[in-house]
Amino acid sequence: MEQVNKAVQVRNISFGYNGQLILDDVNAEIEAGKLTFILGRNGSGKSTLLKILGGLLNSQEGVTRIFGKNSAKLNVSERSKLTGFLNQHHNAVFPFSVEDVVLTGRAGFINFIPKESDREASVQAMEKVGILHLRNRNYTDLSGGEQQMVMIARLLAQNPKILLLDEPTTYLDFSNQSHLLNLLKQLVKEGLTIVAVMHDPNLAFIFGDDFLFMKDKKVLRSGKSLKAWDTEFLKTIYHGKLETIPYKGRVLLVPFLN
Amino acid sequence: MNNRNISILLYSLPIPVILVSLFIGPSQYATPGAILNMFFNIADNPGIVKSIVVDVRLPRVLLTFFVGGSLAISGCSIQGIFRNPLTDSYILGLSSGAAFGAALALAYAFLPVQLSAFIFGLAAVGLSYFMARKNRNVSIVSLILSGIIVSGIFTALLTMVQFFSDPFKLQSIVHWTMGNLHNASWGKLQSSIIPMSAGVAVLIIYRWRLNVLALGDDEARTVGINPGKDKIIILFAATLASSSAVAVAGIIGLYGLIVPHMVRMIIGPDNRQSIPLNFLFGGMFLLIIDNFSRTLSGFELPIGVFTMLLGAPFFIFLMKKTNIGWNR
Repeated sequence: MEQVNKAVQVRNISFGYNGQLILDDVNAEIEAGKLTFILGRNGSGKSTLLKILGGLLNSQEGVTRIFGKNSAKLNVSERSKLTGFLNQHHNAVFPFSVEDVVLTGRAGFINFIPKESDREASVQAMEKVGILHLRNRNYTDLSGGEQQMVMIARLLAQNPKILLLDEPTTYLDFSNQSHLLNLLKQLVKEGLTIVAVMHDPNLAFIFGDDFLFMKDKKVLRSGKSLKAWDTEFLKTIYHGKLETIPYKGRVLLVPFLN
Repeated sequence: MNNRNISILLYSLPIPVILVSLFIGPSQYATPGAILNMFFNIADNPGIVKSIVVDVRLPRVLLTFFVGGSLAISGCSIQGIFRNPLTDSYILGLSSGAAFGAALALAYAFLPVQLSAFIFGLAAVGLSYFMARKNRNVSIVSLILSGIIVSGIFTALLTMVQFFSDPFKLQSIVHWTMGNLHNASWGKLQSSIIPMSAGVAVLIIYRWRLNVLALGDDEARTVGINPGKDKIIILFAATLASSSAVAVAGIIGLYGLIVPHMVRMIIGPDNRQSIPLNFLFGGMFLLIIDNFSRTLSGFELPIGVFTMLLGAPFFIFLMKKTNIGWNR
């Protein structure tokens, strides 16, 4: 039996699509109860890795374990208790109310029709995210940032052990970004494990507990091994000229001005 | 008025419409007065009046109600699973498949007309679905495209059958495709009510799942719903109900597209309410339209013509007037 305090263990996974390799023999571990960011450039395989962790894609090679359980052998219902997933894009077609959207997060607990307890769980989730005042609004009328918060509330209503978030801050303005990331930190303190793909390394470095760096279809190494916040290493990850400035024992990246 | 009372009102609205419909018709014997007299046992010709109401109008009213309800509830479900407000079973090729099946049976009498219409309707939807399926995914665009292609194929085949038919058979084929309820009978009701009810029942049971599916496949899968399996069940139930309706009543064009939108304007998109209400309102509206078609002129216009002529302008009016949330 492998260690179960690891929320996620990825062993030698490879994934290809239409004859093109996207992940090449990837190994990684993610600790339970931490906020872990997956960083790297566009096309490095970040989102694909996250989708494999969430069971939306299956790797052709290797094994993914979620709290020690082989991911490939979980059915949708078992999986929904373990991992929740926030997609990068989501477009609702029908103008459902916010409350109805959040309620769909409870599907794993519901046979056919939601019960009062499911409604209560949704209300609690909306309260936690701070969107209870939006509950009767149409989801389709909301701004991108508000929609993102609704989908986070939906994840909390689902109540999985691990939240997997693909670019959660993309549509958010500056203050909503910090609001969301502080909320994530709060949730981690309460025992959740969160894994998020991020474009912006600075937000990740400010808020994250751990980091997985990806380049060329592989996870290069985790942030724990970045003892002195190696500028040369970050340059290889982001493939270009950049400067680093120290920040609370870590660094922030500044793009190089030509 | 609170939500609960509004719901009760909406759900009970079809009852008076059904009752009133029994009083409406061209017969000079079964006038509203005569029917009332029958109930108080003071009618002049109780036998005729009773027979008109029980043997002619009641099966027609019930059949019309079930046909309208089945088309509407199927349209709403199909829009939900394909996340596409522009689709219904008609657009997936059901009607042209059914029309071809009916024409084939009318021309060559190898199968009962209803059964043949049902089989080919089902086949057309199945064909559209599997043609659109790629990598276990059914995209909205490819679905509409394959629906158009399948409709085109069956329409061409229908034209061929019509071309080779003699004038008498041709007339009955054309009449069938226009949609008609005037030869409703207890027999027709019996042969179609079981598949219609079965389809409708499954859709009502699965109504909340439609909310989950409407957010997208990934969004459904990650919260514990297998989208592929649920979609097949719902698509089959919707096709069962709507192809039985088309088989018995002919083509009632775009009805399954229009009613779900009207219901959404009234009660919102939450399928927990809108699915059952689609059945009730779909039945009720078709009954009202049929009442007009029975009384407005000396001869009966085919119901399919009427639904288009009345439904389309009404729909455009509602679309202009109400914010239904498709602006983005």
